[in-house]
Amino acid sequence: MLFKDQVDFVSQHIKKNKLRVFMTILAATMGCAFLIVLASIGFGIQDTMRKEILEDQAITEVEVYPNDGEELDISKIGAVEHVNAIVQRTRMEAMAVSQIENRSLEGNMLLTNFAQEEKSNLKLSEGRMPTKDNEIVVGYQFAENLLTDAERKEMEQSTEEDAEPIGGYKESLIGKTVSMSLQSYESEEAFSETWDFTIVGVTEKPAKDWIVDTNILLDESWKDKLQEVYEVNMEEGNTDLFFSSTKIYTSSLEHVKSVTEELKEMGYSVYSVSEQLEQLDVFFMAFKIGLIFVGTIAVLISSIGIFNTMTMAVTERTREIGVMKAIGASPKLIQRLFLMESAWIGIIGTILAVIISYAVSFLANWILPMVVGSALGEEEFQDLSMTFSLIPWQLVVIASIISIGVAMISGWRPARKATKIDVIQALRQEL
Amino acid sequence: MIQVQNVNHTFLIGKKGKEKKVPVLKGLSFEVEKGEIVAIVGKSGSGKSTLLHTIAGFMSPEQGSITVNGQETAFLNETERAKFRLNNFGFIFQNFQLMPGLTAFENVELPLKLKGVSSKKRKTSVKQLLKKVGLEEVADHYPNELSGGQQQRVSIARALITNPPILFADEPTGSLDSETEQDILLLIQDLNQTLGVTFVIITHDEEVASIADRKFRMRDGELVKGDTGYVI
Repeated sequence: MLFKDQVDFVSQHIKKNKLRVFMTILAATMGCAFLIVLASIGFGIQDTMRKEILEDQAITEVEVYPNDGEELDISKIGAVEHVNAIVQRTRMEAMAVSQIENRSLEGNMLLTNFAQEEKSNLKLSEGRMPTKDNEIVVGYQFAENLLTDAERKEMEQSTEEDAEPIGGYKESLIGKTVSMSLQSYESEEAFSETWDFTIVGVTEKPAKDWIVDTNILLDESWKDKLQEVYEVNMEEGNTDLFFSSTKIYTSSLEHVKSVTEELKEMGYSVYSVSEQLEQLDVFFMAFKIGLIFVGTIAVLISSIGIFNTMTMAVTERTREIGVMKAIGASPKLIQRLFLMESAWIGIIGTILAVIISYAVSFLANWILPMVVGSALGEEEFQDLSMTFSLIPWQLVVIASIISIGVAMISGWRPARKATKIDVIQALRQEL
Repeated sequence: MIQVQNVNHTFLIGKKGKEKKVPVLKGLSFEVEKGEIVAIVGKSGSGKSTLLHTIAGFMSPEQGSITVNGQETAFLNETERAKFRLNNFGFIFQNFQLMPGLTAFENVELPLKLKGVSSKKRKTSVKQLLKKVGLEEVADHYPNELSGGQQQRVSIARALITNPPILFADEPTGSLDSETEQDILLLIQDLNQTLGVTFVIITHDEEVASIADRKFRMRDGELVKGDTGYVI
């Protein structure tokens, strides 16, 4: 029998029992949709957590710390394969007071090597990387926090928590000269020494809304000069001005693991995003398998409906099957026709389930943040990019295999029963 | 064409564990020649239907051999038997056995579908045959919209559509009035003469048997001897 004729034959029978087949498809759809939506919660939460982790830092970044009393051997680390850049940012135990025109800002100054920063793919929203000693890069929110005394006073008086920043420097900072001096955290007055720097770049907007980047990035060659000034101005015994953090950037994500392992072997304390992601993935793999297992139970329950429908179909069509066999239909063909019918129920049920699941997932991601936000009374919650439900293609494939597979298995026995129908008995059945 | 040799068969009747053996076919042997009409005549319970079922391959006899066109059918498995039936046999049943959900055209078309014939070829063949049996006007009618005689003509057309060399008819006029019976018998004779199809007719009706070239009479699972051997 040609495949097209087999399909016609099956669809003819389905049309004859529309209501019964519809109800069976409905059960299969509900079971499969439940499986997909349930598992999508696991995928959604995992996606949200991955994003959280990846937003915090670059994915090729590896933080490395020396053990107590030791120092990092930068040349040794640099020799490790796939290490692209080593960025050592040195922070000072003092504030940097910046002055442009009548505006000032108290912020942090970080000493770094710009060549390495460029290699590590430091992104600027404006301008370029410094090439001279007196050139600097400032943070994204540096300009808006440059305030006049009047603006600062107004801001201090403002009681509203979420008040918009008052004033700030409105023009582009590129090419502007900033006068800078150091100030101890303990004292009210800045040191008398001042330096003039030219702003040549502004960093990119931080990934998190709540991070305010007012840092100043300065070439590391200034370290000795700043140390000198600090020592002169501070009392004895409190001259430890600098402390640094080291970040290593690998050439690609796949090398993060090998670099991390090698650095650990060198005896350093290491932290990388890949380690965190790996732990997260292991946890969520178990979580998702659990959810799919629970969802599969719903599919199995719906399969009882398919089994029932197919058994009824075989019983009702006993005489027809007998005639078919008598005129030359092979048992294999009879079996295939019934399996096709149960597979058809499974396929249509799965297609509908996938469409419904995507709709439910979309609605959940749209409505749930609003519901949760209003329930908690936090408007900000609505702005968070939280994914409650995510349906990747892999989940659709897994759910389809389970749903169609279960449909075919439940149609298997009735189909076998059909092949075993005795022609003589079937032909004797009353019309 | 058909050789039946020493065929024996027993039915087990009664509750499980307390079954009784009832012999239904007792050492039957005969032959059917190509192009003839043979009638197997007998009362109810004489075993004639069981004989038809064994020759057609619906069941295997306990003993003996049945050869059709040189092929020993008892050794074939179920799938092979189905294929053999599709290529060699056509069936006409007492109660027509048409598919209620298919039109007259679709019912006749069914064996061709099973053979995997293309839709275009099927249409031409079915149209021609329906014309031959005088049903072209009711081709799109469902079985319950047809008279008994028309239904039996559809059944005959379905049996003939694959051009089988042998056609089995089990009480072909059992559900028809005498006038329609005559029509069907004339049709069978016509098809036998024009197409050269071999007919094996199972009947209890002497009038139906009268169209046969040869008759075998059965009684209690045995062929009854007449003046000329088994043939009466």
